[in-house]
Amino acid sequence: MESLYVLIPLSALLVLAILGVFGWAVHKGQFEDIEAEGQRILTDEAPAVDADQDP
Amino acid sequence: MMPPAQPLAQPSPAAEGVAVLDDPLEQGRFTRWVAGPGGERWAESSLQLAGLHCAACSGIIEQALGRVAGVHMARVSAAAERATVCWDPDLTRPSALIAAVRRAGYDAVPDAAAPALTLRLQLQRQALWRLFVAGFCAMQVMMFATPSYVAAAGELSDEMRRLLNWGAWMLTLPVMAFSATPYFAGAWRALRTRTIGMDVPVALGIAITFIASTGATFEPDGIFGHEVYFDSLTMFVTFLLGARWLELRSRQHAAETLERALARLPETAWRVAADGGVSAVSVQRLHVGDQVRVPLGQAFPADGVLEQGDTQADESLLTGESAPVPKRMGDSVVAGSSNVGAPVLVRVLRVGGDTRLETIVSMMRSALTQRPAAARVADRWAAPFLWAVLLLAAGAAAVWSVIDPSRAVWVAVSVLIVTCPCALSLAAPATLVAAARGLARRGVLLQRLDAIEVLATAQHIFLDKTGTLTEDRLQCSAVLLTPGAVAQGYTEASVQALAASLASWSTHPASRAVADLQPGQTDSGDWQQVHEVPGQGLGAQDAEGRAWRLGQAHWAGAQAPLPAGAQTPLRAGAQAPLRAGAQAPLPAGAQAPLPAGAQAPLPADARLVLSCNGRLLAGFVLEEVLRPGAVQAVQALQSDGVTLRLVTGDTAERARQLADRVGIVNVLAAATPEAKLAALIELQRQGHKVVMVGDGVNDAPVLARADASLAMGQGALVSRCHADAVITSSRLLDLVSARRTAQRALAIVRQNFIWAGTYNAVCIPLALVGWLPPWAAGLGMALSSLLVVANALRAGR
Repeated sequence: MESLYVLIPLSALLVLAILGVFGWAVHKGQFEDIEAEGQRILTDEAPAVDADQDP
Repeated sequence: MMPPAQPLAQPSPAAEGVAVLDDPLEQGRFTRWVAGPGGERWAESSLQLAGLHCAACSGIIEQALGRVAGVHMARVSAAAERATVCWDPDLTRPSALIAAVRRAGYDAVPDAAAPALTLRLQLQRQALWRLFVAGFCAMQVMMFATPSYVAAAGELSDEMRRLLNWGAWMLTLPVMAFSATPYFAGAWRALRTRTIGMDVPVALGIAITFIASTGATFEPDGIFGHEVYFDSLTMFVTFLLGARWLELRSRQHAAETLERALARLPETAWRVAADGGVSAVSVQRLHVGDQVRVPLGQAFPADGVLEQGDTQADESLLTGESAPVPKRMGDSVVAGSSNVGAPVLVRVLRVGGDTRLETIVSMMRSALTQRPAAARVADRWAAPFLWAVLLLAAGAAAVWSVIDPSRAVWVAVSVLIVTCPCALSLAAPATLVAAARGLARRGVLLQRLDAIEVLATAQHIFLDKTGTLTEDRLQCSAVLLTPGAVAQGYTEASVQALAASLASWSTHPASRAVADLQPGQTDSGDWQQVHEVPGQGLGAQDAEGRAWRLGQAHWAGAQAPLPAGAQTPLRAGAQAPLRAGAQAPLPAGAQAPLPAGAQAPLPADARLVLSCNGRLLAGFVLEEVLRPGAVQAVQALQSDGVTLRLVTGDTAERARQLADRVGIVNVLAAATPEAKLAALIELQRQGHKVVMVGDGVNDAPVLARADASLAMGQGALVSRCHADAVITSSRLLDLVSARRTAQRALAIVRQNFIWAGTYNAVCIPLALVGWLPPWAAGLGMALSSLLVVANALRAGR
């Protein structure tokens, strides 16, 4: 049980660190256009089929 | 590592950015000039505000603006987050107005789209971060709190309990210092202006809870007892921020849609110099008297008069009617309408804020700000609620200081904690936001949450005809062949094909209706010298040199009237015989032209004829197309007990005809906008709530005055901007489903209020007599909030 005396303060610090990372991500605009990333695979000018499959 | 406490607290452009606004050219973007009561020249500016989160904020900003010397009047619309300020140009400047708003703790930019967008983005990022900090900390605090809930008596050592409490306190700090600041700031603003909004009891509740729990953490034997409420506290803040985040998003979504529509306004003009040279200039730089060239397909940059060339103007922006209006030399054109006929030269008569479009827009805005706001219901209850809670707490402390002084503070604090109005303050907004999101998924974009209540309860709905019940296109319902045509061997099919191929040369609505008889036809026929006479019709020669005409009966030329027997109706019920309009063959172009604009809104049953070398071959019956689902929507609304009324500027006969087709009894026909407005006000005076559904600018005054207004997605811009809701799909059945959703949302709000009220009624007496164990108080708070939010989410389904 003694390990909790280290682990609880550690987890509190970890939470604060995660908050910092998330704040950085928000202000970098990472969450502004979430849908677009999912749809990019549909809109990219990627070759649809391999060359040898061309009709 | 601590998160920065105040990132982007008030996003503000640099001071020199504000000074630029005093430049007259920039000022013109958001200011128009009006005459004061004594005839002085006053400026009226629109500002876009940021930082508002309740109806009470509008009063604070109005006071702040009103204190600036030279400001005559300031009106703030909290729903639109906009301010209209009337000021004296001799005494103050726009930059002073913005400085005053900033001093009050809000932010303002001129009401133009681009800066507003950045402002929205920053607000959105900050709101998301606040929500995340609160939510993430709440989860972690919940983890630290779990052991004390699940441990059996004596299983958790005192030291371990203190360690867990310390961890929870540590993680509640960011929530209090950062996430909950909007509530403390709102409460502080309210106190400074001596008004009490819902923020005050909320801020008081969370502050007391935090102080008591902090005392319990660091001094378990002190006056606050040893119970902590960090888990309930962080969860409550998360819920509040979550509801606020959703509300912000749906408001921003509506604003973005509108700004995209507004971006249609022209910005560049081609000015013709005295030497004939053409230069592209900003619309802001146009002056009265300038000559501008307007290419085909472009919008007219300003109000003006046609100096060279004939054309057609699409004025759907102003009227909602999509039929192009013929414009001849000397006719006036309106800013924002598009030139769809031919390139022309225009002499500018009015620019910027003085144009007809801008005048209508500002007229609509002032009509809106004069409408009484219904959003203050929750705030009206805030003050009595707060005083009642404070009195109860003080009374409990006084009584207990006699009975058992050691428990007096504890009881007072537990009363304040128990009454923290979490469920009450979530009950209405969470439900309305959920309903608005549900409506948006169905294609009804809500711009004012209060409209939900009116939409659910109103028993009278006014419907516009053209563009609302009907589509703004025509369809050909019957083709009538003359005996002569039959004798020459023409069949209905061959005539249809001929007419459709000729009609496909034109974009006029009547031509399009005829062209649609042969859908998908790409072959435009072997026509030569195709020419279109505005307001009359199309002429062309075929390969054998015969002159064909498709258009108005008297223009295309008719030798023989169509006998009734020769009809070949395409559809039952459309047998209107062709009128023998012109008996004698007339030479081409010999008629006096019809007065300009007479054909603009093509009447129902408008008739076209097809002629060859002046001999009449066939006639086409055209009628308005009902929107899909119009009949079902009318039936559904009427079976719900709603009184429908058709209000239209069209003639009584045509209005009656259409009303019979959809099943509406009550018709107000041939009505001017004033007459429509009078009918609406009369109903309102009788105490009824009226919903208006319309699309054009002619409906705009009624839309602005109605208790709730819905605009069609294809309607005029002004109507869409200022209606409470936009039916983006333009499907009338969506009106029915929107009404059902609104009714369900209102029922859920009532359930939430009842639940929150019951919870407080039960818990306050228990807390007063000291019988409410702290764990039960915390659980009750959390459960009542959870229940209210879960119940609210049902409204969006």
